[in-house]
Amino acid sequence: MNPAALYRVSGSIAVIILVLLPLASSEMGGVGPFVLNSYFMHLAITAFFYAILASSWSLLAGYAGQFSFGHMAFMAIGGYTSGLIGKFIRFTTAPSELCTDIPLPGNWWLVVLNIRRVGTIDESCLDMAKAETLPAGTLIVFPPVWASIAMGLVMGAVFGLLVGWLVLRLRSTYLALFTIGFSEILRASISAEIPITEGQSGLELVPLFPAGIMGFSSTSKIPPYYAMLFLFLFAMALMTWLAGSRFGLFVRAIREDEEAAAALGVNIVRYKVLVFVVTSTLAAAAGALQGHYIGIITPNTLIILQMSLVIAMAVIGGLENIYTASVGAIIITFVLELLRTNVEIGPILIDMTLWRLVFFGLLLMLTLRFQRNGLLFPILERISRGGVAEETVSIRVEEEELVEDEAGVDVEAEEEERAASPGNSK
Amino acid sequence: MLELTANSIYKNFGGLEVLKDVSFTVEGPELIGLIGPNGAGKTTLTNILDGALKPTSGTVYMNGERIDTRPPYGVARAGLGRTFQVTRAFRRMTVLENLLIPAMAMRATARQRDFEEKAQEVLEFLTIAHLRNEYARALSGGQQKLLELGRLLMLDPQMIILDEPFAGVHPRLMEVIYRYITEINAQGKAFIIISHDMDTIFTLSRRLLVLNYGDLIADGDPEVVREDPEVKAAYLGEDE
Repeated sequence: MNPAALYRVSGSIAVIILVLLPLASSEMGGVGPFVLNSYFMHLAITAFFYAILASSWSLLAGYAGQFSFGHMAFMAIGGYTSGLIGKFIRFTTAPSELCTDIPLPGNWWLVVLNIRRVGTIDESCLDMAKAETLPAGTLIVFPPVWASIAMGLVMGAVFGLLVGWLVLRLRSTYLALFTIGFSEILRASISAEIPITEGQSGLELVPLFPAGIMGFSSTSKIPPYYAMLFLFLFAMALMTWLAGSRFGLFVRAIREDEEAAAALGVNIVRYKVLVFVVTSTLAAAAGALQGHYIGIITPNTLIILQMSLVIAMAVIGGLENIYTASVGAIIITFVLELLRTNVEIGPILIDMTLWRLVFFGLLLMLTLRFQRNGLLFPILERISRGGVAEETVSIRVEEEELVEDEAGVDVEAEEEERAASPGNSK
Repeated sequence: MLELTANSIYKNFGGLEVLKDVSFTVEGPELIGLIGPNGAGKTTLTNILDGALKPTSGTVYMNGERIDTRPPYGVARAGLGRTFQVTRAFRRMTVLENLLIPAMAMRATARQRDFEEKAQEVLEFLTIAHLRNEYARALSGGQQKLLELGRLLMLDPQMIILDEPFAGVHPRLMEVIYRYITEINAQGKAFIIISHDMDTIFTLSRRLLVLNYGDLIADGDPEVVREDPEVKAAYLGEDE
C-alpha cells in the first residue's frame, strides 16, 4: 500500500472510531468492560480542544516558522468575544430607552446592555427597562450561541490579521517576545476590566446547547463531544487541504528562507499574514466552543504555562506535521490525566498531581535533546519517505547504465565502421 | 525584447556610499560579467536590481516598467531572477518542491502536477534527476547550486543574475553550470554574472561591468576592459 492510501485508510478508521466512540459511553447505555464514563468523555472533548490548538500552532510554527507565543491569546479572544456577546447583547421587539438601542429590520432592536450598580446590586439597564420603559409583552431574546461563536471566529481572524501584519518583519526571538507581550497585555486587560470581563472571577458563558438537543440535556457530554469533534475534523480537513496546496508550499519556503522565497516570486507578506489569520481563527473557534462547553473562561487560560502546554504537545508529537501535533495533543491530554494517580513506593507517597508536570517537562527536554522532530513524526516520515533512498539509488544506477550502454553502442558502431572502411579491407 | 535600465543608482549605508551614480542598460540576451574587488558594491547592486534593497536615489526600469519600487516578488514576476552568493536552497523541502515553488508563484491558478513534467526536464538538464525526492539538505554544495539554477529555469525570467555561480564548485559541476549559462543565454535570456573567477568570466561574458568602491569604472568588451588602465590599477593589477 502506498503512503497516501495508507494515510487515507488509517485516517478513515480513526474518524469512524471517534464518531462511534460515544456509543460506548455510559450515557448511551454502553455495556461491557469498556464503558466510557462522563469523565472520559470530558477528557476526549478537552483532548480535541488541545488537538485543534496544537495542530493549528504546528501550521503556524512548524510549517511557516512563525514561533508565536500568542496562540492562547487568540483562543481567549474567541472565548471572551462569544461570552461578552452573550453577556451584553440582546434582541428585543421594542427599544429599551435605557440601553444602547440599534434598530434592526423587521421591528427588532439590538440592545447593548450596560451594567449599573444600584445600591449594592449590579443591575443591567434592561432589567431596569423591564420595570420602567418596556411595554408589556416585549420579547427579549438572547443571541444564538452559534452566532456568538461565529463572532468569536471573526474577532480571532481580525486580531490574527492585525498581529500577523505587525510581526511581518519580526523573526525568531523578537517574534516570540512580541507575541508574549501581546498575550500578557490581553491577560492584564481582561483581569483589569472587571465590570466587563468579570476579571479573575471568570466570564460565564451559556451552555453550548442551552435547551439541550436531540433528547440530550444541556449538561450532557455527547453533544459537546460531537461539536468539538466536528470542529477538530473540520480544522484538520482545512489544514490538510492548505498544507497540500500552494499555501503549504509557500509557507514552508518562507520558513526555510524568506528572501529566497521572495526572489522566486512568492508574495511573502500575503502568506505570512494569511497563516496568522487562518491559525488564529481556528484557535478562536476552539476557544469559543470550549468556553461554552465549560461554561466559564478566565484570564488564567492566557498564562504562559498554558501556551507552553500547547507548544509541548506539538513538539512531543512532531511540530512539522499537523497530524503528529494533534495526535500528540490527544495522547498527552490523556496521559497527563492518567498520571494524576498517586504512587506509593514503600513508605513514600508521591503526589502525582504535582509530579506529573515534572515528568512531562522531562519528556519535553528529552524529546528536544534526542528526537527534535518529535516522537511521532519520525514514524510518519519512515512510512511516507521509506522508499526515497532506494529510489534515488535505482534511478542513478539506471542512468549510469544508460550512459554506459550508449557509450557501448557508440564503440560498437565505430568498430563496425572501421571494419567496413576500405582501408581495413586488406 | 528585454530592456533593463539602471539610472544613476546611489546607495548609502549610514555614511558609507556603497554605490555612486551607477548607470547601465541591458538590451536583449546579453551575457554580462560584473566584477570588482570585495566591497565594490556588486551584491548591493544585485539586491537593488532584485528589489531586496531600495536605492537611496536612482531608478531601475525593466521593459518600460519601474521595478525599483517593487518588492522582490514583484521584480521576480516582472521577469528578473537571481541566485545568492551563499546557496539558499529550501533545505527541509524536497528537490522537486524547491522547483515547484517559483513555477507555482508565477501562476495564480496553477496546480503542482502541471509543472512536474517540466521540473523533471530541468532536473535532467542539470544532471540531478535522481535526487528529485530527496530533501535539499541531503544535496552537496555543488548540487544545491544546480538546484538554485533549476529554480530559475522554473521561474522562467527574462533576465538572470548569478552571484558567484562558480565559487567552491567541482570542475565537473562547473562544466554543467557553464553549459547552463551558454544554453539558456542562447535561448534568449540575459545574464549578469558576478564572479571572482577571472578566466571563466573573461571567456564566458561578452560584456564586462567593473565596479570599484561604488563607482562603475568600466563597461564594455572584456578584451577592451582588460586593457583599461583604471581597471588594471583598481582590480586586475598593474602587471597584468
